[in-house]
Amino acid sequence: MAELADLKNKFLREELGEYVEEDAERQRMVDLYAETKLSMQNIAAAIIDGRHHDVDRLTREAIDDDVQALEVMDDGLIAGMALVGIKFRDNFIFVPEVLACARAMKAGMAHIEPILSASGIDPIGTVIMGTVKGDLHDIGKNLCIMMLRGSGFKVVDLGVDTSPDDFLEAVEEHGASLVGMSALLTTTMPNMGRTIEAFIDADLRDDVKVMVGGAPVTPEFADDMGADAYGADAVECVEIAKRLTEESASAH
Amino acid sequence: MSDRKVTGDRNFIDRAGYEKSLRRLGEIFKGITRHAKEQALQRCPYKDRHDCCTAKFACAYKRVASVAADLPNCVSDDQLDYRTAWETDEGDVQAMKGKLLSASAQAGNVECNGRLCVLRVGKTIFDHADELRVKVPTSCGRVGTCHECIVQIRKGDEALGARSDAEAFLQGGYRLACQAVVEQGSQEIAFDLLRREPKILVSQQSRAVEVDPMVHRQGDKVYYGSEELGRYRGHLYGVALDVGTTTVVLELVDLETGQSVHVESFENPQRFGGSDIMTRISYDGGEHKGELHTAIVNTFNTVVREICAELEVSRHEIYEILVVGNTTMRDLFFGLDVQSIGQKPYRSHVEEDHLRGVRKSTGLRESARQLKLMANRNAVVCGVPLIGSHVGGDIVAGLVAIDMVSRREPVMLVDVGTNTEVVLGYAGRLMAASCPAGPAFEGGLVRFGMPGCAGAVESVRYRDGKFCCETIGEGEPEGICGSGFIDLLAELRRANLMTPKGVFLNKAVEVQVVQERGITLSRQDVSELAQAKAANFCGQAILMRKFGVSPDEISQMFLSGGFVNYVEVSSAVEIGFLAPVNEDRVIKVGNAAAQGAREMLLSRKKRAEITELISRVEHVELETTEDFFEMFVEGCQFKPMNCQSLW
Repeated sequence: MAELADLKNKFLREELGEYVEEDAERQRMVDLYAETKLSMQNIAAAIIDGRHHDVDRLTREAIDDDVQALEVMDDGLIAGMALVGIKFRDNFIFVPEVLACARAMKAGMAHIEPILSASGIDPIGTVIMGTVKGDLHDIGKNLCIMMLRGSGFKVVDLGVDTSPDDFLEAVEEHGASLVGMSALLTTTMPNMGRTIEAFIDADLRDDVKVMVGGAPVTPEFADDMGADAYGADAVECVEIAKRLTEESASAH
Repeated sequence: MSDRKVTGDRNFIDRAGYEKSLRRLGEIFKGITRHAKEQALQRCPYKDRHDCCTAKFACAYKRVASVAADLPNCVSDDQLDYRTAWETDEGDVQAMKGKLLSASAQAGNVECNGRLCVLRVGKTIFDHADELRVKVPTSCGRVGTCHECIVQIRKGDEALGARSDAEAFLQGGYRLACQAVVEQGSQEIAFDLLRREPKILVSQQSRAVEVDPMVHRQGDKVYYGSEELGRYRGHLYGVALDVGTTTVVLELVDLETGQSVHVESFENPQRFGGSDIMTRISYDGGEHKGELHTAIVNTFNTVVREICAELEVSRHEIYEILVVGNTTMRDLFFGLDVQSIGQKPYRSHVEEDHLRGVRKSTGLRESARQLKLMANRNAVVCGVPLIGSHVGGDIVAGLVAIDMVSRREPVMLVDVGTNTEVVLGYAGRLMAASCPAGPAFEGGLVRFGMPGCAGAVESVRYRDGKFCCETIGEGEPEGICGSGFIDLLAELRRANLMTPKGVFLNKAVEVQVVQERGITLSRQDVSELAQAKAANFCGQAILMRKFGVSPDEISQMFLSGGFVNYVEVSSAVEIGFLAPVNEDRVIKVGNAAAQGAREMLLSRKKRAEITELISRVEHVELETTEDFFEMFVEGCQFKPMNCQSLW
């Protein structure tokens, strides 16, 4: 069994000491980090602290030093996210901080992706995600994006206030087969339907599957506007994305 | 985990391993999503750990925080459904705000700087300020003695308990945040921090300096000495930064023309950690270590960002930041530990290292990137060397400003503050001393004392049996600042209303200064002022004696720092605050440190000369002087310095 003091990275020592309150859990985390190289601990620390520039640099350096990509993922990026999950569960941090950590993770994954593709592992699919025109709420959408990326999807994030044209252009540019739309206001929800109509008008509706979500959206409403699926949360979003991707693959 | 098999190319991911990793990550993310969903029922998901709002849309609970803050505050108490407060239309937000306000009014609320929180009976205004994340200055640990946490109650005075003894000196809507306790609920209370706009001399005659900075250009490359910093982008700028305990002066200088482009002066944001050096040191030794460094760095960055935006200057064109400040301020700026400066023998780690031969100089050097400063990432951050102990780079810069290297006759520089520094000599021989005067003349310890800002009595004359006072700003007098006290004490002596030992006529307990406002000066106040004055006295007297000069032989006396620029010299001489140097040889130099910093930024020659000069300065420790105690007792008396009797 490793001791907290064995961890070479000071930030990790402080974080574990301060935020992991249960002894057995802390021991598990200490053991997890203690087995890893200092360079991996540094990546994990930068993830936990949401420093995406540092994660970018440290991951690049590790890959340049010939550290195995899977080791960087497991011991650096995912090991960091593990503590983020615990801190969030125990209310030490909140959704905005978690999303900052997810952004840092993405910066690290950017250096893993070329190796994945060189190893013959392609993304499950490409998803275009955005909050519809007139709507500036993005937390639910961002959580979905975090989940999708963590499940092996390539995600193009169009952000908030996305016009039908923006969705159309992105689908064409990235050759995506899946579009996810989010809305949080009853007043902006109809823009989901308008976006779907724009796909029909552009003769692209058959090329893509459309999934929708957001607090005021219901399965009935999703059906009415002609979406392919409705997801209640980010976990469902991934399940749906996987199902729709398989459907469109078998259709073509 | 290091025994993973390597197959094929030097970096290869096998699918099974990758899928296993994704499953692990998926579990973590699932946990996060589930918790996010649960939490969303009780707490707005856009609210971060600091209760700041990260939403891009408008919300009735959103309150713009201070200019320095990145994000607005969220004032929701999470008891009402936050979603009703979300709107994209600004007009709806205003309407919603009204509704929410009337709903929360039943519980009562407290407002400051446009932020709102729920009123809590039994808590102090300071507690509410904490909740509102409004930084109220204090250095006594909230026990009512430092008088720094003065707030003005704009609304709801009646909901507060009666004034405590510690607040007896305040009247009208003014209260001490740490003492004022909320006693009634269902009320609206609004308060403001006392506006602190210290009167500072920023403008000064800028002497022409030969332009030969460390930063220069060759072709399209920029160099610091012989070291390459980056490419030339059209301009070379430098920042001269004078970090004072109370006030910071930042000057942006064009290093190619030598022109000052912009000067900005602002209050040192570290005030919340106390007003004097010793309190800051002890603050930085506590659980909030590092906060003071962060505060000054963040404010620096905010100011530079604003200047750059206003002048359309790119921050990448700033290649040097030259920092002067007393030993503690400089080292806090560089993020160094300052604890050793607070205890005998009052030396910084940097100075200790220098004395042990580990460091060649007490100067500091970092890159802007390391200190996270707004400038070119390779910009050199240069900390000007110190003289010894508390006598720091600000005094070194002062010596540059008064052109000490060219002096052939003795001059004296007196930099007055909570720590007064005195340098005496000429180019061939120099002595320096630091005198811990304390805050009595700066607004602390004395009942009606206050800093030199609006509402402070700054000059006093005794005429026809009463005191005539001049007050800074347009309002009624609230207290007395340093120059006011010096006038007051001198007038009391001239009118024989007080003995040199500080005893009032007829042994009165106090004298009325501004009767209508109840502003008085007590025996105890006089005693505090006497001790502060004695420290200033000892610094000057001991140095003159050690150097072997009388006040008549001093060709020029330069005064810098704080209130001394507003002091009536004859009053200061009358009570022995300043050495009796003939008034026409006394020169008030305003902020000498800022001026010296600019000259050093522009001239390698000045830097080299002064570095050589200060290596020869003799640092005199006042306390180890044999008859220090006798000198101090003598200095406590309010009478002109009598040099014959002293040496």
